[in-house]
Amino acid sequence: MAEKILSPQEKRIEANKGQVIFSKGSRVQRIYDSFQGSRSSVDVQRARYFTESFKTTEGQSLVLRWAKALYHVAENIEVIINDDELLVGRVGGQGKYGLIYPELDGCFLQSFAEQAANRVESPFEISDEDIRIIQKEIAPYWDGKTYYEDLARSLPEDVLKITYDPVDTFTSRFIANETSSMRSALQWVHDFGKGIDEGFESIKAEAQEKLSQLNPLDPHDSIDKAEFYEAVIIISDAIILWAQRYSDEARRLADSTKDEKRRQELLEISRIAAKVPRYPAESFYEAMQSQWFIQLFSRLEQKTGATISNGRMDQYLYPYYKKDIEAGKITKDFVKELFQCMWLGMAQYQDLYVSPAGVKFNEGYAHWEAVTVGGVDKNGNDAVNDLTYILLENKREFPLNYPDLAARVHVGSSQEYLEEVATTISDGAGFPKLLNDEEIIPLLLAKGADIASARDYAVSGCTEVRMPNLDTFTTPCAFLNLGAVMELTLRNGRMAKYGDELLTIETGNPADFASYEDFERAFIDQEKFVLKQTFRQQYIANRTRPKHFASPLGSALHALCMENGLDLHSEHIPGGIDLGYFDFIGLASVADSLAAIKKNVYEDKTLNWQQVLSAIDADYEGYEDVRQRLLHSPAYGNNDPYVDEIAKLIDRVGVEFAKENAKYLGVNIDLRYVSQSANVPFGKVVGALPNGRRAGTALSDGSSASQGADINGPTAVLLSNFNTKNTEYINRASRLLNVKLSPSTVAGRDGNAKIIALIRAWCKLKLWHLQFNIINRETLLKAQKNPEQYRSLLVRVAGYSAYFVELSPDLQEDIIQRTEHELSA
Amino acid sequence: MEEGIVTNIQHFSLEDGPGIRTVIFFKGCPFRCKWCANPETQKFHPELGWSRGSCLQCGSCVKKLYKYNISLKNEEVNWGDKTGRAGSIPSQEEVDLACPTKSLHIIGKKYKVSELIDILIEQKPFFDETGGLTLSGGEPLAQPNFAEALLKKAKGNGIRTAIETTSYAQWDVVENIASHIDYYMTDIKVMDSGLHEKWTGLPNQKLLSNIERLLGEFPKVHFRIRTPVIPGVNDNPEAIIAIGKFLKPFENRGELEWELLKYHRLGVPKYEALHREYPMGLVELSQDKFNELKSVASFVFENVI
Ligand code: SF4
Repeated sequence: MAEKILSPQEKRIEANKGQVIFSKGSRVQRIYDSFQGSRSSVDVQRARYFTESFKTTEGQSLVLRWAKALYHVAENIEVIINDDELLVGRVGGQGKYGLIYPELDGCFLQSFAEQAANRVESPFEISDEDIRIIQKEIAPYWDGKTYYEDLARSLPEDVLKITYDPVDTFTSRFIANETSSMRSALQWVHDFGKGIDEGFESIKAEAQEKLSQLNPLDPHDSIDKAEFYEAVIIISDAIILWAQRYSDEARRLADSTKDEKRRQELLEISRIAAKVPRYPAESFYEAMQSQWFIQLFSRLEQKTGATISNGRMDQYLYPYYKKDIEAGKITKDFVKELFQCMWLGMAQYQDLYVSPAGVKFNEGYAHWEAVTVGGVDKNGNDAVNDLTYILLENKREFPLNYPDLAARVHVGSSQEYLEEVATTISDGAGFPKLLNDEEIIPLLLAKGADIASARDYAVSGCTEVRMPNLDTFTTPCAFLNLGAVMELTLRNGRMAKYGDELLTIETGNPADFASYEDFERAFIDQEKFVLKQTFRQQYIANRTRPKHFASPLGSALHALCMENGLDLHSEHIPGGIDLGYFDFIGLASVADSLAAIKKNVYEDKTLNWQQVLSAIDADYEGYEDVRQRLLHSPAYGNNDPYVDEIAKLIDRVGVEFAKENAKYLGVNIDLRYVSQSANVPFGKVVGALPNGRRAGTALSDGSSASQGADINGPTAVLLSNFNTKNTEYINRASRLLNVKLSPSTVAGRDGNAKIIALIRAWCKLKLWHLQFNIINRETLLKAQKNPEQYRSLLVRVAGYSAYFVELSPDLQEDIIQRTEHELSA
Repeated sequence: MEEGIVTNIQHFSLEDGPGIRTVIFFKGCPFRCKWCANPETQKFHPELGWSRGSCLQCGSCVKKLYKYNISLKNEEVNWGDKTGRAGSIPSQEEVDLACPTKSLHIIGKKYKVSELIDILIEQKPFFDETGGLTLSGGEPLAQPNFAEALLKKAKGNGIRTAIETTSYAQWDVVENIASHIDYYMTDIKVMDSGLHEKWTGLPNQKLLSNIERLLGEFPKVHFRIRTPVIPGVNDNPEAIIAIGKFLKPFENRGELEWELLKYHRLGVPKYEALHREYPMGLVELSQDKFNELKSVASFVFENVI
């Protein structure tokens, strides 16, 4: 029998009967086995102790309350060291766990506690005792005090009605969807280097020094700043105490174990946990443990978007690595083992969303604490080093999703580096994702960064970046549903799902539009109106956030916060750059809709508005010919100027609006296209669209083409992306770009060279982000079942090409069974 | 400006020469190989095609294109005139207006060299240091002036060139085109000329002598000889060894490899779309047999892939 098409990673998994296998009997295998079968459970400790403390600190400044609450958590949270662990620390109980942050959206906790185990998306186990704690001790305290409720109360009526259901503000309308209640700040990266190199004793001393220099006659100094520095001292004590508890526990276990080897390990762990993050790390092992403590403690502090990222690990850990490896104190295998222990720790943490909208935005339990490698250093030279290669190699060998590896690429990236990157991509799940220095560094400069900070950016979250000592916390911004904007245009300011209620403005009945330009203008008017409401919503969110959150740990690691005595959550920090962004969801869906109307109704006149509108009302039932016409119109993602021009216009309205109006918000607020899984819930509220998309189905995702519409291959997808950017404006952030490749493309002869060619082209085109999806057998099976979504899937054999969905079932079967052929989409 | 007829333009092609390439499939070929996987590239004139899978059976084509004798019977859309006579089939525009699904479509479009160059320049970032343009078909040598003008212009724009060809043309045509090519892919199907004629419609002396001269006279060009292994034609050791022996004298020239391609039936839906009979019927070639012949080939010739 011919071999199936599998990526190397799939092959490994298949060979092991679906089990993830590390080298047999290894430490990592044992750790993995210890949790992999467990269901995700809610851990209430953080919420419980945090709330307990908050009950006792009413009236004090927020940053002090936060520090005290975290101290209380550090004192009381269970300390667990499992067999085999080399890095210690966890912020929940055994197995896979998620945390709750009642200050954010505690108003959903009562219902969450009852439904968590049974909800369809991302269920969580929860014990009866914990349900009681949530319902009796935690939720009642936060009732009326949460960020979510404050925001909902503060929104003016006209903004509210495109945000939540005005009658039931716990239900999102998914039009201009706020995301600030899902996480307390946008994605973030700490200056881990500072924590590791200096330690918290030194940070504490720095705060004490600052305290002593305050002007006692200036109340801003003697009250606000003093409280801030006191909070930094408390938080430093808190993390030191927490680490010390691990040290004590390790010693206790060492005393009771009969296994001599483990005893030695535990004694070493005990020594290290007493030392870091309190004092500067002096070895690679200590640096790793220090990083892990800081990373974990951040999760106790708050829920930032995507979970705090790991920063440029190949940079800040390199001096420790170099010193130890040169001295012969560590081996490469040990370095890898430590990394793997860290990834296993991450894998046990689950990103838990309590609010129904939050869950829908982030299906699954995934978090993106990105590890950044490669790119240029502060001087603009290539920053790749041995640790970069170890991290890439490690990604190939380690078959879990964690960490989310991000590789920076610049025009001067070496062939050797790109070879390693390409090999890693083809070996499995398409990781690492790539970020482009050639686009990102100039944009950061244009937004006010100094050159050294811009070059030292770290990837954070799924596609975003941060400069850890220059960026500041920004409020998560709205996701704007372009599909809804299209429907509002078709229905004169209304949407089928929300009945007769006028949601935005009336822009006329499409059937009365004499020209395409009239229709386009109506769409743009709706777009601008929703943008206006979005910015008003944002204004309120920006103002509300600092009243509800503080970040003493994040601030302690931030140069500007320490200098100014200001919490990272402050609306503005002198010297800082506030970079926020809002999302457009469904760019291709609406660009294709506009193009389809332009072509069929106004140019070819193959359809009239009456037909289109009736077809849409009927969700195309009985109108398949109309639908097919629309579906086969020019589509974004094919390097077709007909529709790319339209997409560019939609983008221009967004960036221009941001350019002109961000000043009223006092922050940079840029347009990005990163839907994650939000294109699915956003699609649910949108009726049929004139690009042939049926009601309730997903909108197009990120800056990708409508599902299956990119029939000219990946170069066209990249070029459409390039064509639709308004590069004369700087008010843009990331665009998520996925390109599909088959395993045979990437594994075959010269496979790497081809991936590298694609990466270099992407780099030259200055596109922000690129990730490869490896098409596998599953994709082909799905394409068989659901051909319309996979129209773009090409079958390639030397001298031949055809679309997969056009083959007969037996030939499709043949393709699924063969490996010799070439597939690409 | 030179103009020619093209079946299809394929970007991000990874199998038609080194690196990432744009393949321009020329329309029209002097051969009629019975196993041809691209029957739509055989005729030199534009043709109508129809894909069953996406057809709605709506009959719009029958009504709107009545001039052209389109019929819809037994769930099949068909048309009377397949001669390629001027005006015998509708224009691209007429078809687009008639058919909502693009089920009915025109195969073959005229391009000016300058239009193709614009398209290629857009793709240039992807070519990097290895990729480029590949002429395929159909038979590029059958539109020699068009091919030459296109290759020259591409070269002038710093784009590397490759060709997939039968090498069947007058020597001066072959020589001229080869002088603009970096990477030359050509078929040798079977050495027995009688068999060759039986299965492809034409004898093989001319193309074999052209290939021999090319290998000798263009030392800097990279050659890849391709042999599609076809059941009943050359799926026996003798036929393979004969080709190997032909190539043997050039074994040490460098920049030469011999690639065996396994017979596949992926062209079948295309025959249906053109309302043509698939000449190979249901034959198959087993993977084992193919592997066996490949090892036979490596026995005779060093660089087999
Ligand atoms: S070919 Fe097109 S127009 Fe003709 S019946 Fe099929 S879908 Fe309708």
